[in-house]
Amino acid sequence: MKRMAAAALAGALVVAIAPFVLDGYTANVLVRSLLFGVLALSVDLLWGFTGFLTFGQSAFFGVGAYAYALTATQLGVDGFLLPVSLLLGLLAPAVLALLQGWLSFYHRATPLYASVVSLVVPAVVTQVLYSGGTFTGSSSGLTGYDMPDLSVPQWLWLCGGLLVLLTAAAAVFVRSDAGRLLVALRDNEMRCAFLGIPTTRLRIGLLIAMAAVAGLAGWLYAAYSGVVAPELAGFDLGTQAVIWVALGGRGTLVGPVLGAIGIDLTSAYLSGSLPFLWRLLVGLAFILVIVLLPQGLFPAIGRLILHRRRAAPVAPPALVPAATATARARGEALAVSDVARHFGALPVLSGVSLRAAAGELLSLVGPNGAGKTTLIRCLSDGTERSGGTVHILGQRLGSLPPHRCVALGLGRKFQTANVFDSLTVAECLRIARATIDRPSPWRRAGTLALPDAAMEVVQATGLDRLLGEEARLLAHGQKQALELAMVLALDPALVLLDEPTAGLTRSERLQIGGILRRLAQDHGMCLLLVEHDLDFVREISTRMVVLHQGRMVLDGTVEEVAASDLVRTIYAGEPH
Amino acid sequence: MTLVLDIVTTAAILFAVSAGLLVVFGVMKIINFAHGAFITLGAYAGLLVTQAGLSPWLGLPLAFIAGAACGAVVERIVVRPLYTRALDAILATWGLGIIIGQLLTLGFGREVQFVQSPITGTLTVFGEAYSAYRLFLVLAALAVGGGFALLLEGTRLGLNTRAVIMNEDLARGLGIDSVRVRFITFALGSGLAGLAGALITPLSSVDPAMGVPWLLNAFMLVIVSGASLLTLALATLLLGGAQVLVSTLVSPILGGLTIVVLAAIVLRLRPAGFAR
Amino acid sequence: MKEVAALQIEGLSSGYGASLVVRGLSLEVAPGEIVALLGKNGMGKTTLLRTVMGYLQARTGHVRMFGADMHDRPVHARSRAGVGYVPQEQALFQDLPVRDNLRLGLADDRQMQGAVTRIGALFPFLPARLAQKAGTLSGGEQKMLLLARALMGAPRLLLIDEVTEGLQPSNIDRIAAVLRAEAEQNGRAILLVEQHVGFALRIAHRYAVLKGGEKVAEGEAADPDAAADIAAHLQL
Repeated sequence: MKRMAAAALAGALVVAIAPFVLDGYTANVLVRSLLFGVLALSVDLLWGFTGFLTFGQSAFFGVGAYAYALTATQLGVDGFLLPVSLLLGLLAPAVLALLQGWLSFYHRATPLYASVVSLVVPAVVTQVLYSGGTFTGSSSGLTGYDMPDLSVPQWLWLCGGLLVLLTAAAAVFVRSDAGRLLVALRDNEMRCAFLGIPTTRLRIGLLIAMAAVAGLAGWLYAAYSGVVAPELAGFDLGTQAVIWVALGGRGTLVGPVLGAIGIDLTSAYLSGSLPFLWRLLVGLAFILVIVLLPQGLFPAIGRLILHRRRAAPVAPPALVPAATATARARGEALAVSDVARHFGALPVLSGVSLRAAAGELLSLVGPNGAGKTTLIRCLSDGTERSGGTVHILGQRLGSLPPHRCVALGLGRKFQTANVFDSLTVAECLRIARATIDRPSPWRRAGTLALPDAAMEVVQATGLDRLLGEEARLLAHGQKQALELAMVLALDPALVLLDEPTAGLTRSERLQIGGILRRLAQDHGMCLLLVEHDLDFVREISTRMVVLHQGRMVLDGTVEEVAASDLVRTIYAGEPH
Repeated sequence: MTLVLDIVTTAAILFAVSAGLLVVFGVMKIINFAHGAFITLGAYAGLLVTQAGLSPWLGLPLAFIAGAACGAVVERIVVRPLYTRALDAILATWGLGIIIGQLLTLGFGREVQFVQSPITGTLTVFGEAYSAYRLFLVLAALAVGGGFALLLEGTRLGLNTRAVIMNEDLARGLGIDSVRVRFITFALGSGLAGLAGALITPLSSVDPAMGVPWLLNAFMLVIVSGASLLTLALATLLLGGAQVLVSTLVSPILGGLTIVVLAAIVLRLRPAGFAR
Repeated sequence: MKEVAALQIEGLSSGYGASLVVRGLSLEVAPGEIVALLGKNGMGKTTLLRTVMGYLQARTGHVRMFGADMHDRPVHARSRAGVGYVPQEQALFQDLPVRDNLRLGLADDRQMQGAVTRIGALFPFLPARLAQKAGTLSGGEQKMLLLARALMGAPRLLLIDEVTEGLQPSNIDRIAAVLRAEAEQNGRAILLVEQHVGFALRIAHRYAVLKGGEKVAEGEAADPDAAADIAAHLQL
């Protein structure tokens, strides 16, 4: 925090004295570079933090610029019209972003598709500007409109101040508890959705905010330069912004800002004398950085200067018990009726019906390809089923997307450990609580509230001593335990677990087995467990269900199922 | 009638321009953003041939070779290390596009130049006089598509390539050198881009930035087609047809947007696009 | 002089990310020998085979095939050195006809005719179904096609991952007969990863039990106590 404040102060100082030391031409260009820095900042938040590679932020910059130029041309910008124009410069890009977001982000959308749409948006905006006739000035754009009466130094202070302010605000936000959500989205969007987080709305919301930021930069650009052209909204500026961010260092905020300023200033000088050679060099540097130094120049230089001295780790929060749903319904947790799933003509599941009550630990067994994981999917994601109905705690699952299913009271643990690799253990757990304890957008809370069950897992597996450790550094068993704790942090009534012991050592398996049994007995949760290992299942289950070739072939007590001939045939290798 | 011919020939042009990108996407699962630059490169190869006073026909194989050679080098140096980082591969190939574009500018200047057409005049089709060269492009597109189908379905290299497309790990386990398959694919796809560049230039002109607008359309067509030449043909006919209709009946500027906008909407409603 | 082992694994460890799934395993398979590796799911059997094939980098230890160290050799080179790999899941090209699936087991199309005749003698249903899509075969037929494809190139070493899973007894008998004959008559070395103890003991010469990525027991399959020994070690 101290370092950040110092950096912001240094930035402000540089901006304050810049007009006195720079020559007129440089100061002139620098205003534009600073606004491009704002554009780069918006790209970095989207790409560097949430992993959305966008080529289209220029569209919002362009729309913001035209918002100024058009209001100035049509209405003038005197008096109250200036704030009206500014409002338009923020709102118009935001509306466009809403449209782009709706197109780009939906349940099961791929990252490539979102990037595709980000290419389409600037193409559309430029064409619309081209075809706007005298209203938009077509290919020659607009010029000669009224501009605010500011001197170049004043512009420098205004734009520089804005850039420092926005960068500092962004830095505070990404370090806050809420800001960690962005990284969680990048690391594992599916895990986020199955923690009840509305990932789509989050992504669209962030895009809208970043569109407004880029729009503001564009609006100022038009007010400063006195000329706008369709190229401002174009794909070329959009990809240049990506280049600035990549060279500067994605995910570092300051790096992309410096990248934008550095490259834009240099090109202003060199494009006169060596126009093509300069772009060639930028292209070359860009490829070199992407291939050899994907983290960008700023972090690399930083490491050289600071000799790997990293900021002191933030002290992890203290764990405190959270209020839990004490009066948990003792009734029916899960009711599945005639559920089917087919891929094209190929049936994977058919006619599965099943009921489970609170306090039960139900195991789902069967050979590979029997449809166990598919069934878990159908129970936790309303869009997966091809037929049948599912009720969770008496509520219809319908065709709800995962995050709404989670809100009904279920938690799902995946087969492979799904945690947020670049977050710490404490941060992972806090993300899991995000829908219950709304995280602060500007600070890190000193405590982390966990319900009993999650607390028990954290303490029993020693995760409480690793709260500040990054999740990717954990051992396999610890990751599995962390994911289980994250699921339990939701305080679910129904927990779906897909092979929670895969790849664990014997002692870890025994430990997890004990925890699962207690979750059902002591915490009154209903657990549905997919498991391969019949011995393990026998020890902990209250009931067993056998799936074979997509159908339910047995549903009974552990003794009944274990003794059946059918299971012996299916598991031909079981020693007996 | 002219409208129908316009649609068919436009689809043929789009098919020729997109085929190389599709092949690379199908096998390597990456989008080659240098595709536009390879198109430009092919166009300049055609220009060199006509400037040297040789037959414009010679430009076609030369453009293919130029594209393929350039693609081979690029695959080896830039694409291979990025194979597991698909989005970074997009970025790096985009950077390559910039470099190739700037090199062409340094070598040939920025000005727009014109290439001699190997076929001039018109043919009478269904009672209408129509540009003979545009009709030739339909044959060329059919040849590209047919050649590819033959290569994929009829040869061992094709079988190996399809195996890599369907399941790369499995293909490797059966002794197929998938690195080599990818290398050949990328070179071939780049060669096709070069060929497409030489094919389209007699219709328009040559300049260092000419590839970029083509790239965007080709890109959208490929994404919407999945990884099959047949669906690509369908997509070019439908979306290319829509483009012709909008351009003729509404406005050429909106026509230029038809493909990208329709493709984005198709993908939003049906993420698999035209693929089954 | 001792015969060069077809497969020699020495102190091999490997895994995914931070976790080790196979820990310090050593194992040898001689030409003409069938070795069964038994263990439950999640005990590292598939990981071991994937490391031997080169899909996964070994953390420590060596893999030698026919006397040559395979370190740094890519997957396809190991296959071409004379190794047939039969993976457990999704190992057929479902949309390709049986013929193309078999072709892919051969490096050279010119040997196709002879190889199909040879394979047809082992799996009589195959030659008549060459044009059928592999995905439309029954589960048992798909497993046999997998094995047939691996045998197309007459490999000197076969790595087989759970070929009997979900199969009917008659199909299991067929596969047992084929594998036994391939080892004894054609001198192929076979490493068989299995959960099905009965099947494994029926055809293997030697066995080893894998647990938590480590070898916890081994012995001769002919030993009358083998089944009991395995059962004891397979318990949780």
